[in-house]
Amino acid sequence: MFWVITIPRPLDAATLPTHTADVANGEKLFHASGCHSCHLPSKDSGFDRATVAGGTALKTPVGTFYPPNLTPDPETGIGKWTDIQFVNAMQQGISEEGEHLIPAFPYTSYTHMTVKDVLDIKAYLFTLPPIKNATPDHDVLALPIVRRGMGAWKIIGLDDGKTVADAAQSESWNRGKYLVEGPGHCNECHTPRTIFMTSNTSKYLAGGPHPEGVGQVPSLRDLVGRGKYKDVADLTLAFQYGETYGYSKMSSGGMGAVQTNLSKLPEADVKAIAEYLVSLK
Amino acid sequence: MMRQLLVATALSLGLASVSFAGPIDDKIKERQTCMKAQGASMGVFVPIMKGEKPYDAAAVKAAFDAIEAVCGGWAGFWGADTGKGETLEAWAKPEIWSDAAGFKDAEAKAYAASTALKASTDEASFKAAFPAFGDGCKGCHEKFRRPKE
Repeated sequence: MFWVITIPRPLDAATLPTHTADVANGEKLFHASGCHSCHLPSKDSGFDRATVAGGTALKTPVGTFYPPNLTPDPETGIGKWTDIQFVNAMQQGISEEGEHLIPAFPYTSYTHMTVKDVLDIKAYLFTLPPIKNATPDHDVLALPIVRRGMGAWKIIGLDDGKTVADAAQSESWNRGKYLVEGPGHCNECHTPRTIFMTSNTSKYLAGGPHPEGVGQVPSLRDLVGRGKYKDVADLTLAFQYGETYGYSKMSSGGMGAVQTNLSKLPEADVKAIAEYLVSLK
Repeated sequence: MMRQLLVATALSLGLASVSFAGPIDDKIKERQTCMKAQGASMGVFVPIMKGEKPYDAAAVKAAFDAIEAVCGGWAGFWGADTGKGETLEAWAKPEIWSDAAGFKDAEAKAYAASTALKASTDEASFKAAFPAFGDGCKGCHEKFRRPKE
């Protein structure tokens, strides 16, 4: 029974829409998705840390992961990946070899993105210079069994519905909702988890214990009412400039890397995120 | 006599379970006061950066004077025993001590940026020096400060 319900069920290539790559859009979504924050090479590797050659240790409660090389090197990177392999990894949490991925990689959020945006990210990654960097094996106890168990977890933990637009709201608000729910994966840290490690949706973006076990992740609800930010414009500036403009809440607990990514987005997208977040009461 | 002894014992037992502010609290309070002054200086600097207020050399100098008045003990702020106070909560992460070289480096960058900003003499040099000053704050807060609500 366990064996059956935990079988990885990847999407078939026939489900992919016809796609014309938009590399500029892919670059934008790459920053919005924060790929670099985890997939950068380690300090001692000697590689340029602005690249996504992978290998920086990511410590989690289940063990230490070494996020893989995202450059298009055919041997150590994703150079041989097909579109459907990329989409299955990003949106179904299934590796190119057909195994379940551990959701330290936030496919639980990326699954809400449009397939077009996901394929644009792939197109952008394939324009990057390939770097030969074989990343270490993950250091997680009984990883193959944990992987298989993810099949059961996904039944409750992976809601692969796309972001739903709200016709009563502005285009910008909807853009913000999409960026927050999908690529931005804000939910992964800012929503507390249940005992099953799934997102506690009744406390959506309401903050909670920090996933690394030290300190608190702030709530993103009622940011203006609670006096955290003045208005949408204020939060937009905070995302764009962080501590450069004295926004001291934008650095700790991993938010510094997020803010760096957000500063690379077009202003309209940053404002859209701020508009959506400020509307959450 | 017996009664007095009992009362004294009860009192001391009761008191033993209460912690008192001590020397570590003093250290934490000192550095928090310094951080607050730095935060307050942002209230002077940022409006100039945003163009909401004209550059004002006297106000900038006053902000730095206020920082220096309370941050003189910086070198002694981060003793290895100051991760947690007797009664005060601190936001220092253990990485300050486990990655002492990284912390020193971040500190040095912040200090250099602060010195450069202080040396600015007009709007152009102020605006040129300011981003590094903010990055100096970020450089430490990113790795060495606990996240909080």
